[in-house]
Amino acid sequence: MEKVIDINYFELFIGYALMAIPVLVLWYYKTGLVKDTIIATVRMTIQLLLVGLYLEYIFKLNSTFVNILWVLIMSIIASYTIVKRSKLKFKLFFIPIFLSGLISIAITDVYFLGFVVKLKNVFDARYFIPVTGMLLGNTIKNVIIALDAYYKRIDDEQNLYRWHLANGATRKEALLPFMRDALRMAFNPMIATTAIMGLISLPGMMTGQILGGSNPNVAVKYQIMLLITIFSSAILNVVLTIFFSNRIAFDKYFNLKLDIFRK
Amino acid sequence: MIKIENLNISFKSEIIYNDFSLSVSKGEKVAIIGKSGKGKSTLLNLLAGFISDFKGNVQINGIQLNTENISEIRKQIAWLPQETALNFKTVKELFFAPFNFEINKKLKPSEKEISDIFRELELSTKLLNKKTKEISGGQKQRILLASCLLLNRPLLLIDEPTSALDDSIKMKVTDFILSKRNLTVISATHDEYWIKKSDTVIELK
Repeated sequence: MEKVIDINYFELFIGYALMAIPVLVLWYYKTGLVKDTIIATVRMTIQLLLVGLYLEYIFKLNSTFVNILWVLIMSIIASYTIVKRSKLKFKLFFIPIFLSGLISIAITDVYFLGFVVKLKNVFDARYFIPVTGMLLGNTIKNVIIALDAYYKRIDDEQNLYRWHLANGATRKEALLPFMRDALRMAFNPMIATTAIMGLISLPGMMTGQILGGSNPNVAVKYQIMLLITIFSSAILNVVLTIFFSNRIAFDKYFNLKLDIFRK
Repeated sequence: MIKIENLNISFKSEIIYNDFSLSVSKGEKVAIIGKSGKGKSTLLNLLAGFISDFKGNVQINGIQLNTENISEIRKQIAWLPQETALNFKTVKELFFAPFNFEINKKLKPSEKEISDIFRELELSTKLLNKKTKEISGGQKQRILLASCLLLNRPLLLIDEPTSALDDSIKMKVTDFILSKRNLTVISATHDEYWIKKSDTVIELK
């Protein structure tokens, strides 16, 4: 197979010119997001370049302990991002979000890498780190959407929630419609993109693998498995996050606490 | 039926209830009146367990209102809030919603029970086939009332029970609810006819 054409730093710089489009659109409509976009792009660049360096070293080292530590750090950053992007209080929500993230990636990682790929060591750096990275990166937005939808709606529709509780619903029954809506909002877009996968969109990982010289057939199989793993991991993460955070967001009368939102 | 002793509730620095006591016997119809912000809805919310931060002794049907008994307390009541913007697509969903909860499943009304109570509240059962946005506020209020009454709880907590009703229907609905002998009703209201028909009127100042 022909070797992939490298992009030099000058060409990379030319590529950045494309960012002018989102920046101009966001500026024109006065969205207040221009600064965030530029910071996000700069951060993304630095982080990815550094990751390139780290990963090379970590792959060479391939120590289970270091790999797990690396994933723990990724999980902390993911949880931090989720709480920061949602409108919820850091102190209350960080731990439930972090724990749910860990449990959901642990289950899906072990299943995928242990039972499907049948790795001798599921913590093998070359698989464990990028796969977990994909899982975390792709589930963040689902958790943010679900958490926001869930708590905001309970707060906005306090009367509906209370009407359920005061007319015989258990806490679980009273929360059910809100859980249902949160799941719909968080996963409808994912179901839609899954349904058109390959027709009008080629997923990033598969494209990367093919560009990197992999056999498209292998790349496709990995992509299928990853999409399924991401879906399971994301839904598990959302359900666990809501389940764990329910314990701290409601008082003993099952009323939503007033101080869970950031001012 | 209800015993409240030395109730104290304050929100931030504002005192809403200061050493308030109240005793309500079984079947008594109590109207709570007073200007807005004087704590009418707060009292209903308290009895339904929606005020976590209160001091004093509150009992419903001999059960102490506290975190341990909250589920038992809520089994004694049916509650209808003033703002009934409950998001249900169809009237049927709205009406039957409480009967989907495990504890109420056995209370699911028969067609006859539904048509009887609808008749008393001047409603047509054909409304059940409509979408919620097709019915008026008054119809919605009476449909929710019907479903609350069919839950057969000993205590009905109701906020502004007739606020969305026309004068002609108001009296009929008032007479119907307040004539239920075994039902204890605590209402927050401004409606003169409802106040006149209640056994006890408590003015909050």
